[in-house]
Amino acid sequence: MVTHRDVLLGGVARLLWGPSLVVAVSLIVKGYTDVGDGFAAGVVVALGISLSYLALGPEGAERVLPFLRHSPLFLVGGLVLALTAGFFPLALGEPLFSHHPAPGEDVVHIGSLELFTPLLFDLGVFLLVVGVLSVLLHQLATVDPDAGSQADEPPADQPPDDGASGRADAGRAS
Amino acid sequence: MSNPSEVEGARAETTARAGHGGPASDRLGWAASALALAAFAGCLAMWAAGGGAWSAPWVPTLGLRLSFSLDGLGALYALLATGIGVLVFAYGTSYLSLHLAHEHRPARERWRFWPWMALFAAAMVGLATAQDLVLLFLFFDLTAICSYFLIGFDRAEQDARRAALMALLVTVVSAVALLIAAVLLYVTYGTFAIPELIDRAGSGTATTVAAALMAVAALAKSAQVPFHFWLPKAMAAPTPVSAYLHSAAMVAAGVLVLGRVHPLLARSEAVLTGLQIVGFASIVVGGVLALSQDVLKQVLAYSTISQYGYVVLLYGIGGATASGAAAFYVLAHGVAKSALFMTAGAVTMSTGEDRLSRLGGLWHRMPVLAVSAGVAAASLAGLPLTAGFFKDELFFDAGREAGRLTTVLAVVAAVLTLGYIGRFWRLLFLGRPRTEPAAVPRMLVAPVAVLAVVSVLAGLFVQPFAALAEAAGSVTNDAAVSVSPSYHLDARPANLMAVTAWVLGGLLVTLPRLPERASALLARAGDRLGPRRGYSASLRWLFRISDAVHGREVRDLRTSIAAVLVPAGALTGLAFLVTPTVGAYAVGVVAGSDWLILPLLCLVAIATLVTARSRDRLTIVLSLSVVGFALSAVYALIAAPDIALVSVVVETTLTLVFLASLARLPGARPTPGRTDSSSAPPGVRGARSRPRWWSLLAGGVAGLASFTAIWGFLSAPTGAQGIAEEFIRRTPEAHGLDVVTVIITDFRGLDTLAEITVLLLAVVGVATLLRRGKLW
Repeated sequence: MVTHRDVLLGGVARLLWGPSLVVAVSLIVKGYTDVGDGFAAGVVVALGISLSYLALGPEGAERVLPFLRHSPLFLVGGLVLALTAGFFPLALGEPLFSHHPAPGEDVVHIGSLELFTPLLFDLGVFLLVVGVLSVLLHQLATVDPDAGSQADEPPADQPPDDGASGRADAGRAS
Repeated sequence: MSNPSEVEGARAETTARAGHGGPASDRLGWAASALALAAFAGCLAMWAAGGGAWSAPWVPTLGLRLSFSLDGLGALYALLATGIGVLVFAYGTSYLSLHLAHEHRPARERWRFWPWMALFAAAMVGLATAQDLVLLFLFFDLTAICSYFLIGFDRAEQDARRAALMALLVTVVSAVALLIAAVLLYVTYGTFAIPELIDRAGSGTATTVAAALMAVAALAKSAQVPFHFWLPKAMAAPTPVSAYLHSAAMVAAGVLVLGRVHPLLARSEAVLTGLQIVGFASIVVGGVLALSQDVLKQVLAYSTISQYGYVVLLYGIGGATASGAAAFYVLAHGVAKSALFMTAGAVTMSTGEDRLSRLGGLWHRMPVLAVSAGVAAASLAGLPLTAGFFKDELFFDAGREAGRLTTVLAVVAAVLTLGYIGRFWRLLFLGRPRTEPAAVPRMLVAPVAVLAVVSVLAGLFVQPFAALAEAAGSVTNDAAVSVSPSYHLDARPANLMAVTAWVLGGLLVTLPRLPERASALLARAGDRLGPRRGYSASLRWLFRISDAVHGREVRDLRTSIAAVLVPAGALTGLAFLVTPTVGAYAVGVVAGSDWLILPLLCLVAIATLVTARSRDRLTIVLSLSVVGFALSAVYALIAAPDIALVSVVVETTLTLVFLASLARLPGARPTPGRTDSSSAPPGVRGARSRPRWWSLLAGGVAGLASFTAIWGFLSAPTGAQGIAEEFIRRTPEAHGLDVVTVIITDFRGLDTLAEITVLLLAVVGVATLLRRGKLW
């Protein structure tokens, strides 16, 4: 049942998707010189995604934005990127989060975008936030077809839970 | 083992395996054995070359070092652990294959066994050579963790799981005492290093308390009264585990610690007296209980309690003679006791029986095992021509030096030992054959024979063993010790005491009725009043309390929130009470942008009240987002644009998600004035019937506490926040203009990393709850 309101909302969601990306990119680009950083940029993108979910429904949103299927990859990739950016100085014998170029050295600028390792870290945060929020949206929006039956009856193939029975054992230990 | 068909199966498999040389297939076990052999050879070579020490900084700020030293004591225990390890591992290669086949478990289960055994051996060597209290504690706990997995190896059996948990709890909880003692000594004397502590520590309250705490940890580990109850239970472990952990390694770790820190213990007369009392109580309780046990390994378990009681008694006596005697005792006992454990395992494997009352007359069927076990038993009982004779001679000498009471105690101890171990061997190998044993695989007998040969060799050429004990005793005594046992064919007191013990012990063996009855009586009394009941009761109470707290906390959403807010509010209130408040709270002046902030805050207050009062879901969601957006505006006005930006986007997302999830909620909306009891789940009904004042109280406590906390914070002069200025000053250096971004990615980057990792964990949690862990 599609009402004209859904159509309107859907149109708005599609229209806003582009600008939200632009805003996110600008937040990252000028992250070091002005308000905003990877986290805010990630939430802005997620905002666009959640609007699509709301307007088009889970299937529609995931059809229009096919990259959403790779959200778990963003999630893990973002963390790995952030970890790398934070920990690579260990390989050079420096403390964690010693960013390069070091203080006092020159940094390559492209407009207000500075090319240095904190940018990598910021990108990692951005990817992770986008991944986290889109996975959460997906989890909350789509109903697992067999989730209901699982909730009602515990699966028979589950092995006896060691932790729980150990706890019970200890309680009854004589 | 009680099920006859299982027993038949085991025997058939035993025969089959024995015929086909199966044990050789346990490569993993042989690898562990080879490792132990290499370690043994390494330790021996190093010790022969005059020992050695290795040290590296670990946590320099605390003065912690990874310092190991192969001194006399370290060499004794390292050689014991690795040497017996080689034999027990070799035995285990055969035993484990049979055990797994008997229980119809796949051969890959070996991977749940051998790595723990090898790690255990390594931990023992580490413990023996560690020269630092924190290191000592770490290895101490490492052995306990290994033992947990090894005792619980038969994890399908409830008894094994309970026993594993009991051993873990008793030894690990008491090990905390060792850590507390270490910290106490560090605070008092400024070092964790044991040699320096021995130099610096005087006899004061701190030293006494620390010594007592260390003694408690060590006594629990060595299964001494009143912590002894875990050891007989731990016999649920496979035999190689008992033969290793419960004779020469895990329980030896306790007396090892006593021997290592003995100079500190000796600063306090009270601690030494306590050791004597515990030692003697363990000798008697273990010895008497061993007299009536029916299950083979139980006899040996109680015997172990009793035997380590000897060592603890010797450490309690202290001084040169006792220190040397204790070291020699550990050596002789470890060799004999592992041999006896392995004997029990071999007998059970071959006959399918594990009770003395169903066994007997095995002498004719397994002569090699009978002779080897006989030698080991004789060594334990202190008969001549074995290492045991010298251990008793040294024990008698030390007891006699310490006074008349300990002289009598020493003889009583020896009588009990001869009594129970004589009974063990007699019932096992003599008398009428009651079973038809299958052939025993060679690998189940050979290690016992090797240990028996070692016992006899030590009984004939005692000098190298005595030299090792001498070196170990010197460490314990912190002064030179001379251990020179030898045979004297004269009527010296030690010989008279030995003869008395043999005669009385022989009487115990030949007239078993009365002692068995007395022992059974003690066992019954112990079951009714013993410390194990205390253990069970305290566990039960812990679970009851935990269940009660948990049940209250998660009853419904309100109690879950209150469980966080009320304690937080109460703690803040407590802080409010104990900190000076005069002048800490200021009322400022309203000026400039404040005239915008004030109405916004009023809006927040109104929206909050609407949220709390409303029953309509949509109204709740919308008023909540009013709260959020108004607060974002406040942030923007008080010059925190970064927070305002994040706040706005997060609020928007939350509102969208809330609206979206409204569609997923069950349709029945609670209408005001009517409680919909037919469709509401029980939890909701419970929440409705809860008194309103309780919710008001919880909200009031939390709200007031945060109000005062924030007021106090805002009243504080801004000059106190030095770190913020430092951040601002250094931001250009980090190539940035926006301080917040630089803090997030650079200055406090590690914090950010931890926080985003939490985000990932939260997603995994949601996925686990909603879709069994599927992320997409």
